[in-house]
Amino acid sequence: MSRLHYTDLQLDALRELANIGSGTAGTALSSLLGRPVVISVPNAAALELADAVEAAGDPEDVVWGIAVTVGVDLDATALLLVCEDDADAICAMLGVDADNEGGRSALQEIGNILVASYVGALATMAGFELELQPPVAARDMLGAVVATVLASNSDGHDLALLLESELEVEGAACSVSFMLLPTPEGVDELLNRIGLGA
Amino acid sequence: MPELVVRMGELAISTTTGDVLVCIGLGSCIGLALVARSGQACGVAHVMLPDSGGRRADKAGKFADLALPALLDGMARVGVGPHSLDAVLAGGAQMFEGSTGIEIGARNEAAVRAGLAAAGIPVAAAATGGNNGRTMRVEVGAGSVTVREAGADEETLRPPSTKPLRGEAPWA
Repeated sequence: MSRLHYTDLQLDALRELANIGSGTAGTALSSLLGRPVVISVPNAAALELADAVEAAGDPEDVVWGIAVTVGVDLDATALLLVCEDDADAICAMLGVDADNEGGRSALQEIGNILVASYVGALATMAGFELELQPPVAARDMLGAVVATVLASNSDGHDLALLLESELEVEGAACSVSFMLLPTPEGVDELLNRIGLGA
Repeated sequence: MPELVVRMGELAISTTTGDVLVCIGLGSCIGLALVARSGQACGVAHVMLPDSGGRRADKAGKFADLALPALLDGMARVGVGPHSLDAVLAGGAQMFEGSTGIEIGARNEAAVRAGLAAAGIPVAAAATGGNNGRTMRVEVGAGSVTVREAGADEETLRPPSTKPLRGEAPWA
């Protein structure tokens, strides 16, 4: 089962895919908010699940988590994490209030657009057929949000592959963390498509 | 007071008065606490999934069907049998409203409760279900269990065990 060991070459390739995906997602976020967006160098790592939860940050911090399940050729969940202040700032830019239903819908829609652009770029590159489920949102403890997604995604495996990018909105001091969490089968499929399969 | 964080999939047992066993940020996971009625020994598992499906787990607390026997085993090793234990549960939430596929909280709770029923261990208190994440704290010695949701106050799930006072007549 848990054969989740990846070579440096495979991780580099996955990081490059994340780079392409987050670049496209950053462009989408930029045109949505009308501001430049800076994208960090993505991180690709295979972590033990409890370590992956810890890597996300203080587990009791309250954040917005927007999750989108990706299916058909690539089994994965994409998770956007936005701290409360940044969610307020982003909602203000869009003229809605993060505290009401309008704010939730706006954040879900941002999740939808970012995930569609990110995985859309991967789909074009790797020749995937992909389908996105409607976005779902939670405003809660970071640890609870991340652990829930990891647990349902893990299929009983002990390690998870995280592709993580940071999208920072320039001049607004706010950022969005974007995580793509492929299932173990999803990672294999991704590697196969780019010719680096086991 | 030393806090011992029981991370996802982990399990811990303590008989040291003052130790606090903590599960931080329980979403769909279940914090399963077994408390000796005296409060002197407590065990906690941070259960992630309902069923191992016969798989071996590198962490005993990960699957509900393996976590409970492992906890009972550990409690027996510190001299507490199943008949002097209370169970307290926290977690098993549906974190994402409106989602279908990615929710295992309810299944986790059902699996843990079924295991406890089969072992004859009563559930003394539970804060489960709903849409909110929780942090559970178990204080060894007192045997008290508290739970807290994001942005809310700590709530008592199991009050401290009352200790019989030496020399006090039961009718006094």
